[in-house]
Amino acid sequence: MAGTMTLPASDILARPAGDRSHIGRITVIGLVFALLAAMVLSMTTGASGASAVNLIRHWLGFGTDDTAALRDYAVIVNIRMPRMILGVLIGAGLAVSGLLMQGLFRNPLADPGLVGVSSGAALGAVIIIVLGGTALAPFTTALGIWSLPAAAFGGGLLTTFVLYRVATRGGQTAIATMLLAGIAIGALAGAFSGVLTYIASENQLRDLTFWGMGSLAGATWIKVLAAGPIIFGALAVAGFLAKGLNAMTLGEATASHLGVPVQRFKRITIVAVAAATGASVAVSGGIAFVGIVVPHLLRLIIGPDHRYLLPATALLGATFLLFCDALSRTIVAPAELPIGIVTAAFGGPFFLWILLHRRSAFAW
Amino acid sequence: MIAIDSINVSVGGRKILHDVSMEAPAGKLTAIIGPNGSGKSTLLKALCRDYAYSGTIFLDGRDIATMSPVEIAGLRAVLPQSSNLPFPFTVREVVAMGLTAGRPGVHPRALQHLPEEALARVDLSGFGARFYGELSGGEQQRVQLARVLCQVWEPVIDGVPRYLFLDEPVSSLDIKHQLMIMDVAKSFARSGGGVIAVLHDLNLTALYADAITALREGQVVASGRPEAVLTDAVLEAVFDVPLKVGAAPKPGTPFVLPHSVQLTKARQVA
Repeated sequence: MAGTMTLPASDILARPAGDRSHIGRITVIGLVFALLAAMVLSMTTGASGASAVNLIRHWLGFGTDDTAALRDYAVIVNIRMPRMILGVLIGAGLAVSGLLMQGLFRNPLADPGLVGVSSGAALGAVIIIVLGGTALAPFTTALGIWSLPAAAFGGGLLTTFVLYRVATRGGQTAIATMLLAGIAIGALAGAFSGVLTYIASENQLRDLTFWGMGSLAGATWIKVLAAGPIIFGALAVAGFLAKGLNAMTLGEATASHLGVPVQRFKRITIVAVAAATGASVAVSGGIAFVGIVVPHLLRLIIGPDHRYLLPATALLGATFLLFCDALSRTIVAPAELPIGIVTAAFGGPFFLWILLHRRSAFAW
Repeated sequence: MIAIDSINVSVGGRKILHDVSMEAPAGKLTAIIGPNGSGKSTLLKALCRDYAYSGTIFLDGRDIATMSPVEIAGLRAVLPQSSNLPFPFTVREVVAMGLTAGRPGVHPRALQHLPEEALARVDLSGFGARFYGELSGGEQQRVQLARVLCQVWEPVIDGVPRYLFLDEPVSSLDIKHQLMIMDVAKSFARSGGGVIAVLHDLNLTALYADAITALREGQVVASGRPEAVLTDAVLEAVFDVPLKVGAAPKPGTPFVLPHSVQLTKARQVA
């Protein structure tokens, strides 16, 4: 047939049936560009009308208005840039946390938000907000800007550990137990948070409300400095877990037969999840759905091989959050929607749509 | 050589293995037989370090307790009894996991097509793009075997033998594939590697094993060449049913003929 493309023979030979690594590679490369586009979008959208183009023109000597340039500089460098960086880190951190938990629990439903890890992290953050000035003053003085993310990390770590101990017996995680334990832990953490809210002062209440809405709106360079290194560290560690996560899908015993030091692997994974979730919750108040939707969508496209799934999840998580953040700033401008509302409003229906249309791709 | 030196294993407070010792030399297919609950799988799990044990297990003279998981993964591969996967992996992706973990021992260029070769060995050519979760139990078992073969593809590397541990490798297979898989195991042993297989089918054991260890209630009852272990007396002592060992049409190969499931008189009285 005229116009039919013939693949070179070597190409066919090089790609055995069932090998989806080329799709993984292409997707990761595509997502790098998508993230770059989302970063540009994040830097150029907002209520103020500040223009990066004008700022650059000014710097190059084409600008006319010095005060406008100063204002644009303030908006872009002090407000949008930390917000964009936080968006990238939190989006990647939450998505990768979800992926790590799903791999660790061998269950596509595991997600820090669904099983109570975020609640545990939130409790840690609430404790610092309410008691940081009084009972825990030595702690906050010693850790400074890192006290909030550190406490959220501690709360997340404790929750993940308890969850794993309760739900996993003999290397197998019972899905019902895990979800129920997650609900119980979430409720418990919520109760403690409620008590703390009850005794909080008026100023603390305002801080709590502001923080708990789930937003990138308060992004500052201080927050980038406080949460950034923790999330970045967790992501860097996660990069080394791909092979182990693949092996873990065969079960803990088989993973160990394949040479994975299982106990150490689990500990590292739990700490990475708690660190990324805790630091994200500390500065953004908890943003739902990123950790479950992003890995699921990518598993449908490139398959569950974590060597590609991990970087793709980080990239798409960051892109998705920046996109939702840009929407949250413009949809009711000059006011802002909390980003958690946007991720849930997008993520919820989208997730249902995936479940309806691709049921066969879920092996459970 | 795998050498097990008087190991004891307790699971959940109950002692499963009592002072079990056995050897499985490279170049041979060593079968472990015994009734349900006799400790066959427990013994294999102790060999894989899945269970804690007292006593010593040597792999070519080295105590496995002192070796790292990665090191051991390069020297032996383990076929589990059954595996289900929580995520939609293709057959090829499952098999390829054996490549990244172990030490196939083939040229890097051959590595890329090793999963296809392994699938061909277990009679699953053309299954690469199928989803693992959509296969039958017997097919899944063979996919796992292909993965395990990739991990230790060359039975011997630089004069060092490698080992296959197979836990009931043919339990859910039809007769053709039972023979085929046992052939794969046998040829691994013929090429210098060692095989330890937990087997239920005594005739397959008679047909393929070079050495047999028989367990009963966590203790070794008999150990040695098939002719020495597959005797009326030993089998009756191990399985608690009267079994007559006959000779197959092919001279020299013993075969087992079950008569009835009634207990022997002696056991009934006891």
